[in-house]
Amino acid sequence: MPQQWMRDHKPDIAVVIFNDHGNSFFLDRVPTFAVGVADSYKPVDEGWGPRAIPDFDGAADLGWHFADRLVERHFDPLICREIEVDHGLQVPMELFCGRPAERWPVKVLPIWVNTIQFPIPTPQRCWDMGVMLREAIESFPGDDRVVIMGTGGLSHQLQGRRAGFLNPAADRDWLATIGPDPDRWRGMNREDYVETFGSEGAELMMWLVMRGAMNREVRTLHTHYHVPASMTGAGCVVMENA
Amino acid sequence: MTDRREIPDTPLFDRDVNRQGYALNKFAMSLGRPDNRAAYKADEDAYLARFGLGPATTAAVKARDYAEMVRLGGNLFFILKISAVDPTPITAIGAAQVGMDHDRFLKERLGK
Ligand SMILES: [Fe+2]
Repeated sequence: MPQQWMRDHKPDIAVVIFNDHGNSFFLDRVPTFAVGVADSYKPVDEGWGPRAIPDFDGAADLGWHFADRLVERHFDPLICREIEVDHGLQVPMELFCGRPAERWPVKVLPIWVNTIQFPIPTPQRCWDMGVMLREAIESFPGDDRVVIMGTGGLSHQLQGRRAGFLNPAADRDWLATIGPDPDRWRGMNREDYVETFGSEGAELMMWLVMRGAMNREVRTLHTHYHVPASMTGAGCVVMENA
Repeated sequence: MTDRREIPDTPLFDRDVNRQGYALNKFAMSLGRPDNRAAYKADEDAYLARFGLGPATTAAVKARDYAEMVRLGGNLFFILKISAVDPTPITAIGAAQVGMDHDRFLKERLGK
């Protein structure tokens, strides 16, 4: 379904909101939010060598436009001109585009959110960034079509004595309500996310950037859930503005 | 310290853990480069000595004791790169932290 949706709608640009997993950013510099303005992004070596997929063409103009709008509205990201991307961007792109031999069918605008080192941003702040993202896309000159991929694993926890924690009931609840009733999720605090979805499941709040960029009313076209993928609840929802 | 709420059996990667584990995570991060992986495999002691890890952390790394590495401030996303040099399934790393054997962890926690 996600790949069929891409073939039917042929977007030009994918905005991908994701977290780096200790691959492109180390703990020496941890941006809460970062925006990519590069012309191209290589897959990063996560320890096993870079995965054999094509480089990603960057939507640099939209990246700069978004950075301009953000800063004007007092929202101050790190701006990245040269950086590699990890599986946080690669996996959702493959889910939506398959694995092309030579070229991805869309350019990408990567947005990184720190979900590893506390303080991580609040869910409300993720939502607010989505509102800015929508303004930037709507005010961007030209007629590029944009798909927004809000990413992050559903429940999972990799560390501590609660490692292996999964919460399929909460995952299903999220998938069912992120479209019709996002305010519940946006009103939760960070500890609520960690408690409900696990220490790494707090990544899920990045979906709120995508949801905050959409209309109040959305149509949910497709929902899929699988647990566990390795140690993680994995799901996909395809939504359009109503 | 922050006024954060504690969540049982769930370590969060905050400033204290960050300080404690910085050298360990820096060593692990370095294994994202092929030349460093080769140097580490060629001479583990010499490679570890570059990072000033201290005896407890050095022993935990050499023993591939992931639960102990996390206790000493390691963050899983970084220390996973050690498992790229010396393969260990992530579920085995999870089981070690819970203190369960691997099969029981797969069954009880992950329903496999
Ligand atoms: Fe992740």
